[in-house]
Amino acid sequence: MKRLSHFEYRVPKTVEEAIELLESGGPDARLMAGGTDLIMKMKLGAISPKFVISLKKISGLDAIAFSEKTGLTIGATALLADVATHPDILKHYPAVAEAARGTANVQVRNMGTVVGNLCNASPAADNAPTLLAMGATVHILGAGGKRDLPLDQFFQGPGRTALQGAEIVTAVSVPVPPPASGAAYLSLSARGKLDCTAVGAAAFVTMQNDVCGDLRLYIAACGPTPLRAPGAEEILRGKAPTDDLLEMAGRQACAEASPITDLRASADYRTKIIAVLASRAIKAAGKRALER
Amino acid sequence: MKEFSIVGKHVPRNDARAKATGTAVYTDDIKLPGMLHGRLLRSPFAHARIVGIDTSRAEALPGVKCVITGEDIPKVKYGNWRLFPETQDEYALAVDKVRFIGDEVAAVAAVDLDIAEEALGLIEVEYEELPGVFDIDSSIKEGHPVIHDYCPTNISVDRKIEYGDLEKAFAESDYVREDVFTVHPVSHAYLEPCSALAQCDLDGRITLWTSTQVPYIIQCLLASTLEMRENDVRVIKPFVGGGFGGKMELRAWEFCAAFMAKKTGKPVKFTLSRDEEFLAGRRRHGMKLYSKVGFKKDGTLTGKDFRVYLDGGAYNAMGPTATFLCGNFGAMLYRYPSYRYLGEHVYTNKPPASAMRGFGAPQAIFATETQMSIAAEELGMDPIELRMKNAQVSGDEITGFATISSCGFKEALEKVAEMSGWKEKRGNPKEGRGIGIGCYSFISGGAFNWFNTQYPYSAAEVRVFDDGTAHLLTMAADIGQGCDTALKQILAESLGLKMEDIRITSADTAMTPQADLGAWGSRLTLFNGNAVLDAAEKIKSKLYGAVSARFNMNVIHDFECKNGRVFPKGKPDRGLTFGEAVAMVQKAQRGEPLLAHGYYTPRDKGLVTPAFSFGAQVAEVEVDKKTGIVDVKKFWTAHDCGTVINPRAAEGQLEGSIQMGLGYALSEQFIMDGGKTLNTNFLDYKMPNAMDMPPSEVVHLDTYEPEGPMGAKEAGEGLAIPTAPAIAEAVFNATGYRCRDLPITPEKILKAIEESESEKGGSKSTMK
Repeated sequence: MKRLSHFEYRVPKTVEEAIELLESGGPDARLMAGGTDLIMKMKLGAISPKFVISLKKISGLDAIAFSEKTGLTIGATALLADVATHPDILKHYPAVAEAARGTANVQVRNMGTVVGNLCNASPAADNAPTLLAMGATVHILGAGGKRDLPLDQFFQGPGRTALQGAEIVTAVSVPVPPPASGAAYLSLSARGKLDCTAVGAAAFVTMQNDVCGDLRLYIAACGPTPLRAPGAEEILRGKAPTDDLLEMAGRQACAEASPITDLRASADYRTKIIAVLASRAIKAAGKRALER
Repeated sequence: MKEFSIVGKHVPRNDARAKATGTAVYTDDIKLPGMLHGRLLRSPFAHARIVGIDTSRAEALPGVKCVITGEDIPKVKYGNWRLFPETQDEYALAVDKVRFIGDEVAAVAAVDLDIAEEALGLIEVEYEELPGVFDIDSSIKEGHPVIHDYCPTNISVDRKIEYGDLEKAFAESDYVREDVFTVHPVSHAYLEPCSALAQCDLDGRITLWTSTQVPYIIQCLLASTLEMRENDVRVIKPFVGGGFGGKMELRAWEFCAAFMAKKTGKPVKFTLSRDEEFLAGRRRHGMKLYSKVGFKKDGTLTGKDFRVYLDGGAYNAMGPTATFLCGNFGAMLYRYPSYRYLGEHVYTNKPPASAMRGFGAPQAIFATETQMSIAAEELGMDPIELRMKNAQVSGDEITGFATISSCGFKEALEKVAEMSGWKEKRGNPKEGRGIGIGCYSFISGGAFNWFNTQYPYSAAEVRVFDDGTAHLLTMAADIGQGCDTALKQILAESLGLKMEDIRITSADTAMTPQADLGAWGSRLTLFNGNAVLDAAEKIKSKLYGAVSARFNMNVIHDFECKNGRVFPKGKPDRGLTFGEAVAMVQKAQRGEPLLAHGYYTPRDKGLVTPAFSFGAQVAEVEVDKKTGIVDVKKFWTAHDCGTVINPRAAEGQLEGSIQMGLGYALSEQFIMDGGKTLNTNFLDYKMPNAMDMPPSEVVHLDTYEPEGPMGAKEAGEGLAIPTAPAIAEAVFNATGYRCRDLPITPEKILKAIEESESEKGGSKSTMK
């Protein structure tokens, strides 16, 4: 690990000011929320930005808001630790809280943010699959104005997002969960309780009298971005999630992912585990839906 | 159990407050005026000839003060087996050849770290790549590349042990079992990376502060490689953040710091990065172990044939000792009437393996214990019953090596069976749950003398003062295991003083008495404890004389030191305070300070060790049969370390051992691409952390080791041994997967479950 190379540290007070700094810095400028990914990349020498623009002093950007009408909004600098313990999130979006709580360790959760986890665009990001399954939207502000983008159009590849030029994600929002709906996220890694995810699966399900209604399934760390498995969803849509169908859906999810062998797991093992986690995640989400 | 006032009590550790408040000073914390920062250039090739090195551009970089290569240094090889110079195979910087990725090629000292780092990039090395070997089999097969010219076979050391008539034993056995085991290398992963700071005084003498387990060995080897006299080198060990065997040899940066300090006249410091530690640091030996054991129908062992290849990596490091010890550990736990061992240490183009907590035992005993469990299964016996039948007991002799004076092995087996509810759990298996046992025996320090020291193995100096205090000086290296505290406790107990009455100075080769072979082989409590007691006895005899004279006592009286007083036994009123007694002696000596030297060298205790520890551990696991993930639910441990000097320190050793054993069994491994280590950080090197620690219960058995100080023996390494075999047996109990190649991974478990399911299917079809 190298020592940090020289850079200028900027602390704007408003989003507009941050955008200006980002624009003037061009490719030499990087945004920083918690810095838990950025600083590591700099220390490893993977990137050496000339300007680091901290978003931490922009007031209100760390807000977490919930209303029964508009749903949940998580501001760009809201900490993983705060999302993991927020009473409204625990009550209405338990899977979102669980994903935040399952991210890295206490120290990282006290520094890192949910939005930063998304913008880092790791295929293994723990917060992406649940938010994707729940139909989240990212709110983007740039020199050209405001735009909202469904989260499932946000990820372009490892480390790559749909952000262009001087754009900032100011928040991610999640719609109000429909009645009788549930979401669940399961992940697995070699070390057990504290590790980078080797395989993850998130499911969102609405249940109508023991039959799956709407269903969304996302697989993490098994492709260049978190991947949706529409074929697997189709197997269960409109049907009761029996063990046989769940198993079949799990197998279909494997076929829809593109796992590789890397330091964290082999492609073969990932393939087996996608099936297990996908069916378990759907089952858990379905159970939650019926409990609501 | 004997009654003690301080030994065996919950005494706070000497270092606890400094570490908890962050005031403990480690080597890297030390900054000297004008200090230069050093960095090492490492080989990018696993095996290559060095054609030429051009350092001119690096030297020209402003801020660079010194650049050295293998050309610049005295051509003196080093290694801890000084008695056998042919085993000393390492130069501080590569000469002519590099032998692993990370091998040190050049060193830079500059005014700051950034400049030093930049200078490394300016050194041009021309290499001629050579074919490399990366595993035992290809290193010893016909036509293999030769790694060291002196060693055309690539087998640098071998070791044989043989006793009893093995062929006859197997011929007369009712059941003979043969297995091949492989175990993988793992990292010490001490939290303090290696660091060394050297200063050269105007007379040319060197002072080296270094993160080491062996100050005396560093002093000697540094002196020889610098072509200096030993006494012109002073080695100081500040606080050390763990070693586990990874800091017990002279290393390149220690030499380079000293050599460059001498050359520049400025202090030079090197601190390794974690990346360097994982890429090029020492490791536990990977091994291939062939084991054949014979039994009688009733489970009685008849003999064992044990053949082991150690994957040594590019240099011997502490491999020769591991080769030796592995053979002893192979037969230590049980009574084998006949035994044959052949261990061979094989060079490969990988980072050198070396000593690591257990020193050959985790590997040898993983094989032994797994095979015992397989045998129990096939003989239709309970695994604990089979072990009870063959367990060593007090008074047993390991032919030609040692006599076991104290042994709580059977008690340990009985105790863990009871604590864990073994019978009940083995008898009523629950789906996905399993319970397994692993046992250990370990040495309390090595009796062997390959370092060829002319000094005692451990020494102590005790100075006492008329204010009722004492000063203990010892070269014993506290590296976090707590020997400073344990030695103070032993001295306080012996002199009848309180902990706060004792000042300790340790591990400074210019101040503390010669010598000490270091913190390894679980030797300090027994070896240095005995040295401290020896010195204390000499002090006490003087004090007793003074008190006897003062009260004009009849010569038949014996005396004791207790509660800060010195008095005849049974007559506490006829005595003096400790300080008064010291003053009396000093008066009688016409002002000469009262001090004494003590020492310990094991004599007439065989070649291996003066005392053996024993223990047993049960693990309970839950295995997710769909994902292969193993969740260890609980550990139960019963161990025999003789008198427990400091219960919390012993429990700390157990917790640390479980953490290491858990990683060894389940999650830690180096991911290699040929000679290149791919996972060089804690994200991808999967060391278990606090959240992974299962609950644990422990019983320290009540035993007394006659050779140990106040009955104590080792508690630091043996405990690191049983965890992997206990987990492996529990996983077998839960899933039917029998691990013969560590680590136990989810993939291996799933594969075994699939195979057993398809076998079941197969047998069904033949039934039709």
